[in-house]
Amino acid sequence: MGMLKYFKDIFGGLWNLSVGLSITTKYFFKGTTTQQYPEERLPLPARSRSMIKLIYDDEKDQFNCVACLMCAKACPNSCIKLEGVRQADGKRRMTTFKLDFSTCIFCGYCVEACGFDALTFVSEEYENSVYKRGSLLQDEFAMKWIRPHVEGAEQPVAEAPAPAAAGAQS
Amino acid sequence: MLTGENIVQLVSGLLHWAYAQAGISSWAGIIDPIIAAVVMFGFISVFVMFLVWMERKVSAHMQSRIGPNRVGPFGLLQTVADAIKLTTKEDVKPVNRDKIPYFLAPIVAFVATFMGMVVIPFDKGMVVQDLNVGILYIIAITGFTVIAILAAGWSSNNKYALLGGFRSAAQIISYEVPLVLSVVPIIMITGTLSLSGIVEYQKTAGYWFIFPQIFAFLIFITSATAEANRAPFDIPEAESELIGGFHTEYSGVKFAMFFLGEYIAVVVSSAVAVTLFLGGWLPVAFLGFLHLPGFVWFLAKLLLIIYLIMAFRWTFPRLRVDQLMDFGWKVLIPISILNILITAIVWLCLYGKGAQ
Repeated sequence: MGMLKYFKDIFGGLWNLSVGLSITTKYFFKGTTTQQYPEERLPLPARSRSMIKLIYDDEKDQFNCVACLMCAKACPNSCIKLEGVRQADGKRRMTTFKLDFSTCIFCGYCVEACGFDALTFVSEEYENSVYKRGSLLQDEFAMKWIRPHVEGAEQPVAEAPAPAAAGAQS
Repeated sequence: MLTGENIVQLVSGLLHWAYAQAGISSWAGIIDPIIAAVVMFGFISVFVMFLVWMERKVSAHMQSRIGPNRVGPFGLLQTVADAIKLTTKEDVKPVNRDKIPYFLAPIVAFVATFMGMVVIPFDKGMVVQDLNVGILYIIAITGFTVIAILAAGWSSNNKYALLGGFRSAAQIISYEVPLVLSVVPIIMITGTLSLSGIVEYQKTAGYWFIFPQIFAFLIFITSATAEANRAPFDIPEAESELIGGFHTEYSGVKFAMFFLGEYIAVVVSSAVAVTLFLGGWLPVAFLGFLHLPGFVWFLAKLLLIIYLIMAFRWTFPRLRVDQLMDFGWKVLIPISILNILITAIVWLCLYGKGAQ
């Protein structure tokens, strides 16, 4: 009986090892899943959030910002500095806007606090590395993010579809 | 058709013509081996570099990665860059080392395995020295690695290195026995110790020894993996237990020598496995119409076996020390002795007393 178990163990072990080898061999021919980052980029989810952007109205040729300072007050790190001026038509307009991304924590409070649709998140711009810390202090022209659209990234949708089940229950 | 024998004849003819021109024909007996050694060293260095690249690629693809792909086409020059980095690195030595063994250990580890390449027949007649005791020579000369590893572990004056050295000594001595015992049936059948002779026997017999001797083949591959200190038998250099094992205190060129020695051990044992069990330079039966030279077949089979050993490394988990000893002494040795017994009985029944 002991002899039988001995041989059974050996052949069972041999079988187990061959199963393991077949799995690794299968994966060897299966192809890779690596994204080679600088050349290839993962498509971002539609609602992903990364950098903050000042919205520029192309028709009126001006920023939406009216320099109400709500974003600067909402900012927990005080990294937004902006100035505004009252124009001849009586409306306030932003003149300088500086956001220091070296202290920004991307909490999004400024975007929430803005009542004039002047600030928003950019979804496809997430490469924040710079050579000098000063480069992270960006003004209103830098924050328009006029950069080539990244290939493969999805366009952000305006509104995510509301879950149907939640609407039915409430 | 271009064969290995033709190449060897051509090269030796050219060499002897050059000797005659230089008027040193009487020195040929000394210069020929030196040239053979240099050629073999060049071949094995390039081949080992390729193997390191191959190992990284194999492991990467098994884990759905890409592996080295930056330096050169397909990352082929990655190992060249690594070699340059290793040779230009500072040689850090422990202060309280045992100087002479510490210096000699990497050299012995490299040379002992490299010497095994001498009797490997790449093709009919394409062999540095076709010793008539080829297998015995390989087993004897590669056994020197245990001395090198033990010396490296002892002279480093480091507890991890010492433990690694002792483990390695225990392991290599244990697995030397099934390695030799798995070769014995082949020697019994063929009646020769020469590697070329064994291939010739397989040619005349018309079959490879893997078919009647599948268990001997499995035992040989297992023991050879253990002999080369490769995973899953890499307890002498188990990172999680012993840092680097016996080569913890080695850096730069000396570390490269150990590394090279390990890979050459893989090449030598795979080459012996190909010669003994897979018919050496003989073409695959159903692919005979390809008319490739013998050394191409040999290298193809060699790469297949090396791939198998690499697949072992990236598939199986590492054994514990007691499991390793159990496996060696309680499984491999009884099975190989049984294999010898059964082979002897079957051969005696089939061919009677006057076999061979």
